[in-house]
Amino acid sequence: MVVANLKAIQRVPEAADLLDIVLSQTQRKTPTVVHKGYPIQRIRAFYMRKVRYAQSTFHERLSRILSDFPVVDDVHPFYGDLINVLYDRDHYKLALGQVHRARSLMDAVARDYVRLLKYADSLYRAKSLKRAALGRMGTMAKRLAPCLAYLEQVRQHMARLPSIDPNTRTLLVAGAPNVGKSSFLNSVTRADVDVQPYAFTTQSLFVGHMDYHYLRWQVIDTPGVLDRELEQRNTIEMQAITALAHLRAAVLFFVDPSEQCGYPMAQQLRLFHSLRPLFGDKPLLLVCNKVDLGWEHTLDAETWRAVEAAAADTGAELMKMSATGDADRESVYAVRNRACERLLEVRVSQRMTQRRSDAVLNRLHVAMPPQTRPPVIPESVWAARQAQREAGAAAAAVPPPRLTEKQREEQMGGAGVYSMDWRKLYDLRESEWRYDIMPEVVDGKNLADYVDADILERLDALERDEEARLAALEAREGMETEEGEEEQRRARAIVRAATERRILRQRRAARERSQNPSVPPARLRSRSVSSRGPARRHPPGVGVPRSLQTASRPPTAAVALRQVHGVRDMKQAAKARRLFEQSRRKAFASREHRQGEWDRFIAVKKPKHLYAGKMSLGTRHHR
Amino acid sequence: MPQGDYIELHRRRHGRRLDHEERLRKREAREPRRIAERSRTLTGIRAKLHNRERFRDKVRLRKAAAVQAQRQARRRQGAGGRDEDGEERRVVEGALPAYLLDREETQRAKILSNTIKEKRKEKGGKWSVPLPRVRPLADDEIFRVVRTGKKSKKREWKRMVTKMSFVGDSYTRKPPKYERFIRPMGLRVKRANVTHPELKATFSLDIIGVKKNPSGPMYTQLGVVTRGTIVEVNVSELGLVTTSGKVVWGKYAQVTNNPEVDGTVNAVLLV
Repeated sequence: MVVANLKAIQRVPEAADLLDIVLSQTQRKTPTVVHKGYPIQRIRAFYMRKVRYAQSTFHERLSRILSDFPVVDDVHPFYGDLINVLYDRDHYKLALGQVHRARSLMDAVARDYVRLLKYADSLYRAKSLKRAALGRMGTMAKRLAPCLAYLEQVRQHMARLPSIDPNTRTLLVAGAPNVGKSSFLNSVTRADVDVQPYAFTTQSLFVGHMDYHYLRWQVIDTPGVLDRELEQRNTIEMQAITALAHLRAAVLFFVDPSEQCGYPMAQQLRLFHSLRPLFGDKPLLLVCNKVDLGWEHTLDAETWRAVEAAAADTGAELMKMSATGDADRESVYAVRNRACERLLEVRVSQRMTQRRSDAVLNRLHVAMPPQTRPPVIPESVWAARQAQREAGAAAAAVPPPRLTEKQREEQMGGAGVYSMDWRKLYDLRESEWRYDIMPEVVDGKNLADYVDADILERLDALERDEEARLAALEAREGMETEEGEEEQRRARAIVRAATERRILRQRRAARERSQNPSVPPARLRSRSVSSRGPARRHPPGVGVPRSLQTASRPPTAAVALRQVHGVRDMKQAAKARRLFEQSRRKAFASREHRQGEWDRFIAVKKPKHLYAGKMSLGTRHHR
Repeated sequence: MPQGDYIELHRRRHGRRLDHEERLRKREAREPRRIAERSRTLTGIRAKLHNRERFRDKVRLRKAAAVQAQRQARRRQGAGGRDEDGEERRVVEGALPAYLLDREETQRAKILSNTIKEKRKEKGGKWSVPLPRVRPLADDEIFRVVRTGKKSKKREWKRMVTKMSFVGDSYTRKPPKYERFIRPMGLRVKRANVTHPELKATFSLDIIGVKKNPSGPMYTQLGVVTRGTIVEVNVSELGLVTTSGKVVWGKYAQVTNNPEVDGTVNAVLLV
């Protein structure tokens, strides 16, 4: 909330700087060239823009100041009072009020002058009006000088205030000057606070953080408070009073019974009593510091009784401590823990009494597990164990654990001597294949090129398909009727046509291969017989390369459709096909590769109408 | 020292760096060079600002020097006695002892000059004003022609006042058809910044009426406020009292600026 905002306030410029910023920005961001000869509307617009721009820049700058600085009534009362104590609430409010007033006055001035500019009838008059407008706004800015200077100082001070969260768990250390408050803060947290043997070393609030019970706590060190009237207290003391009044924290009131701080015990107790209204119902600890100085033995009984009485009166807990004495700081942590516990108790009980807690508690269900939760062991495991127990009682032979490959390596002579056997882990169909020798290169050819992993499966599928078709054919032959005969004829025709088509396709494929082979033709390859011979003999499961298998593949549906699309019957389709082939053959017949209809054709490279004559208006035909 | 002031804390604990004074001295010694460098290299608006700053510095310096010189001169001219160094002061020619100072001679001269001034004032007449002569304004400077009407645009026209004008609160408009002059709302004034020449103070006062416009009676009637115009202002706020003890509430003032150019009316009270 507010804590973050205090740090984020942007710098407040001085009045002269503000004026420079706005004027130079107006100069930079608006057009700068205007002439007498321009239409008067344009001249007016030119100067109106300048006035408006300057006004909006002023407005923006001042608005940022107004929005950045916290409003005293809106922030947490602790911060509100702190602002009052440190910067004087009235002064602060007046300064912001003046900024606000200047902003609205500037707006009014700009509005008036823009209105006047609408009636400007010459460049001189418009320019003079603009000058007057900027001048008046500038004067207002200059009058803000003391306000802006004050606000800048406030900003700098605010940015250095410790970020105290008024709502979190807090321990508040209070007491007379020089009783060891800062020493306690130093020993409990990592805050590196100045500790000096004179009064009012701490002149403002200091904050440190610590962990207790896995929670984050803030510890606030306050300046020492003197025992006097509230009106007489100075700014330094008033900060402590503000913190005591507004923070719902555990209060640790420090007293120094050794009286080394320079204040007699009676005075310190008076202070304690005078601050009593501020303690309210906060958890309160009365901490007697500096035990290590041995005041326990020298303190007279009456004073100690008074201390006890004071503690009993206020419901405070009385504790003895030494912030610097013992090495392990047991007493310090005892005090800290006690304070934290008491504050936690209070906070939790407050939470519980609030109505909001009901809404949460109603929705909560804490599931308690049944009393015993035996481990679940599967039947089989149970039985196996049982059996093992029975057998093992006699044998007591536990099967040796499986040797890992690593262990085996160690046994067989270590790395470099034993080579791990990976092959035994191969997952093959036949386990004896594991140790078969697999050549990578056979007769100068990479075997991987000829591997077709699923060839057997595909062969199987084809055979199954064929069987099914034959069976269907036989079944149909079985029912010999007139219609059946007709049917049969038609089927045969289809089969024949299909066969013809396949043959055609194969031929074509062969032709295309010969024209554009994926492997160079035999005459271009190595002519040695040895190299050609065994390549034809493929091992089982190793087929021909994919590129050569195209002929045997069934044609895709799209191609088949395109071939018969839009033709009357098979005959016509065949004719169309033939004519197409002829035309193509013609085109590619000769080696010159004569021009075809698909070649880009430019008849005239330099058309005369584009290159001859001079161009005048309206004669352009082409661009 | 607040908690966030790390720099100060560090300085308190560890002190400044050892050559801090030296660096400071050097930086100060280098300052004139830096200024000279800037004077040489800056251009445009920055140069303008820089030069203005320099000029201000120099004026300040010169003034301080003048004050110092005056002080020293005064000390040197002090009649007789000894100055701080114990040297005897020179006696200036024609110096008078203290008991002869403030005698008739000087007073007479003062009275004489005062009476001469008074006489001149009397001669000037009752109606002398701060701005006795102003540039006369022509019609076409004050009025602009505005075509009006829907159907016959050529024939109908009106005149619009292009200067600031004062229109009283009680003014009732004629029907637009008979209205010959347009005094635009944007160019109307209600208040004037009136300076009291003796009090040397300026007040923002309500205008009651236009007494006289030097450019002509028609402008007076229209309430046109230009430079040199005599306006009547409401001075009841000032609490002026007549010799008979009545409170004065209306007084004349002369406009000293060009309101249509400045956007405000500045005037001097006629006393």
